[in-house]
Amino acid sequence: MSTETKAAPRKRSKRLPLTYVIAIVPVAAALNIVGGYINGILKLPIFLDMIGTMVTAVVLGPWWGALVGAITNIVGSFISGPIGLPFAVVNVAGALVWGYAHQMGWMSKNWNFFLVSVLVGVVCSLFAVPIYVFIFGGATGHFSDVMTAAFLAMGQNLIVSVFSSNILVSLADKIIGSYVGLAIIEALPVNLTENTKLPKAEGLNKIIIPVIGVVVGAAIVLIFLALQ
Amino acid sequence: MNNKTVGPKEGLGFGIIGIGFLLAFMPSAAQKIADLDFVASEPFGILLGATYVLALLVMLAGLAVAFVKFDDEE
Repeated sequence: MSTETKAAPRKRSKRLPLTYVIAIVPVAAALNIVGGYINGILKLPIFLDMIGTMVTAVVLGPWWGALVGAITNIVGSFISGPIGLPFAVVNVAGALVWGYAHQMGWMSKNWNFFLVSVLVGVVCSLFAVPIYVFIFGGATGHFSDVMTAAFLAMGQNLIVSVFSSNILVSLADKIIGSYVGLAIIEALPVNLTENTKLPKAEGLNKIIIPVIGVVVGAAIVLIFLALQ
Repeated sequence: MNNKTVGPKEGLGFGIIGIGFLLAFMPSAAQKIADLDFVASEPFGILLGATYVLALLVMLAGLAVAFVKFDDEE
């Protein structure tokens, strides 16, 4: 007769070792800063400064992501000037949407994951457009200013022009950022990501799904370029 | 070996600290932004707008403190 007794399922703790947080937060902020810097040098029509924010918001939680967003833009403003500092609120808002959407289980399936990326893009645009318009008068020297000027030349008003160009750029950026972040999360140690509720992929799908996401984001960038 | 762990409560606390840092840097940034050639806004307007948005985030943080259950204490 077996003497084995069924052990009660162990409750997974939401708590993480402090060392993980100390390792992830600065690296994620550095990833954001480097991404933004490379984007600035290559003059790409996206931002690439929220990949680390996405990874942190999903793995550690929304407010750790918000901290990464704040650190990114504060440190970034010392490197590339004060223009980026007001946009910290966009980074923080994106972290909160990613983090809470993940906690609510909205990112557990492929389509939901994609829709959350789109939602983050829309929310970030809603926060970014007033900053563009009311602080900078519609232009910050980003590549998307060209498209804003094109919309203005078509007779649209400033807010509509800035929103129209920003939403395209933001959608592409957040879709690419989400899927690059997904690939990074897949590569993290399992004990760090065991609480994440992300699309489950096996084998080659772990690579194919992020690649498809990045291709969709790149397609939006190409549409953006074609419209100019 | 250090076994200290952190959870949502600490994340919320450090997130609010991050927003505090943003608020602290805003006055000098507002002046520097207003000094840029292509910016027509006054420093006061920039600071006002930024403060309103950051205040919104602080309120969201307050709501999170009020309603989130930190039931997974160490």
